[in-house]
Amino acid sequence: MWKAIFYKEWIKTRWYFVLALLLTLGFAGYCLLRMNRVIVFQGPAHLWEVMLSRDVIFIDLLQYIPLLVGILMAIVQFVPEMHHKCLKLTLHLPYPALRMVMTMLLSGLALLVFCFVSNFLLMGIYLQQVLAPEMTKHILMTALPWYLAGLTGYLLVSWVCLEPAWKRRVINLAISVFVLKIFYMSSTPEAYNSFIPWLFMYTVMATSLSWLSVLRFKIGKQD
Amino acid sequence: MLRFSKILFYTTLVLLLVWQLPWCYNFLTSKPTKAPFVLYSSVLGDFILTGNEDGTGIKRRDLSGNEYTQREVDSLLPTFYYRQLMTDERFPDTLQGVPLTVRALQQENFNFRITPSDVNHPYIPLYPLLESMSGRVDLAMPDDVFRITKQGIEFIEMANNTVKEEKSRQFTEALLKKGFTFPSTAIAGNPTTRKEYDEGYLVLDANARLFHLKRTKDRPYVRAIDLPEGLQIKHLFLTEFRNKRSLGFLVDVNHQFYVLETKTYDVQKVSIRAYNPEADAITIFGNMFDWTVRITGAEQDEFYALAADDYSLIKKYEPQKPEKSLAQKLGAYLFPLRLSFTSSSDKYVKPRFH
Repeated sequence: MWKAIFYKEWIKTRWYFVLALLLTLGFAGYCLLRMNRVIVFQGPAHLWEVMLSRDVIFIDLLQYIPLLVGILMAIVQFVPEMHHKCLKLTLHLPYPALRMVMTMLLSGLALLVFCFVSNFLLMGIYLQQVLAPEMTKHILMTALPWYLAGLTGYLLVSWVCLEPAWKRRVINLAISVFVLKIFYMSSTPEAYNSFIPWLFMYTVMATSLSWLSVLRFKIGKQD
Repeated sequence: MLRFSKILFYTTLVLLLVWQLPWCYNFLTSKPTKAPFVLYSSVLGDFILTGNEDGTGIKRRDLSGNEYTQREVDSLLPTFYYRQLMTDERFPDTLQGVPLTVRALQQENFNFRITPSDVNHPYIPLYPLLESMSGRVDLAMPDDVFRITKQGIEFIEMANNTVKEEKSRQFTEALLKKGFTFPSTAIAGNPTTRKEYDEGYLVLDANARLFHLKRTKDRPYVRAIDLPEGLQIKHLFLTEFRNKRSLGFLVDVNHQFYVLETKTYDVQKVSIRAYNPEADAITIFGNMFDWTVRITGAEQDEFYALAADDYSLIKKYEPQKPEKSLAQKLGAYLFPLRLSFTSSSDKYVKPRFH
């Protein structure tokens, strides 16, 4: 059954997934092109000096892209589901509801992780050619909270979308905004290094929030 | 699963409230603090406080409460306001029996400021080693940077991102010859061309021994610095002031502050109580006669006037701890537990409960 659910979710999100992959790779590629342009016009030494003497990482443009991609993934996956009342049918399938919801979330997460890992691979492969490993790590570790925000954003917006009552939806949305704000509290590179394991743990745990909304949906909560 | 989801939901809600409510309260009730600008006057033999007093504008007073005009303060602080005194043709010929010239003042004056966030911040452990005796007036950035590993010092050429084997071997051997134990535990330098000369880096090795490393005529200059018995240095700051008298400032594990002399490599203890670079900010205004040192801790400020020649204490000023406002007292009562993610003491983001 889980394969069928995965397939159903894939059918729903495949075009968006292609768009998200192209968008994130496009932005990551553009950031790398800008770095390459600095190297061509001013030399690699200039790039190194700027990075070492100032808090510059050259990929700031990417900051909110993973979050946007994650939020849109949740909207694409769950808004039509709720709008067309498909969730009711889905939950009536002969499969445990909890496993069903988790499989749906997992399919969305898997696509996002694929998207984000491809970004990291692209950046990692390019950066290690032109920069010392310490500098490559500096850039990628700075970007990691942004990508975690993308995954958390997906899970929190899924929780909001699956919520049947508007009042509670607004409360959930407010909580989500404040939680996501935590991922963007400093522009200092590598400021989140010691906090990343905790953010990762919260992201994993945030998967369970959607279950609250689905249970409320099942018992027929409405405004 | 339902129980776990509910616990997560309510925990998130509580944490957000513990974070946001005190923040909103502080945002709405906080008022600017009016800390005066304090300098020690060798002429007066006292501190001069310049600050904005409520309703009366800027006032300049000594610790006894005597009030001075701006013009009087210019004369009381001739090493600080020498440009004004020159313009007014009031610049003194001598001070404390020492002949004064603008050039000598400019040479001896310095400002030094380090805040906790200058110490507690993420950084890339790669350092450019400038040529300190290039023969040119202006300093130039090198084409490589170095890292210190367990095996030795490695120079990486920036143009092609490869290790310069020969140069790395040469510097590693020079360090080993002087008894350096790899890796380093602290490195301090000012890797910029916006300075008058270059003294390279102060480096603490794996055994906490202090070394001076620089590049002179493309060759390594390494000096092992003998520290007084029992002195364990934790923080290093390379000064590179115009007068070239001090090479650096050192702070030991007990938060004692020392000056490392340039020519002799002598370590001189400075007569201030304690300075913890990870928690306190330090500001020093130095001139040829005295230093005014300000230590700003979490609670309050301390000011020290030190003799510039032997760093002995001339005078100390500890302002009264500002009384908490009603809003602050009420805030402490309303929000006994606070959560924040950032701090003025460092540049990291992590949860901190107060």
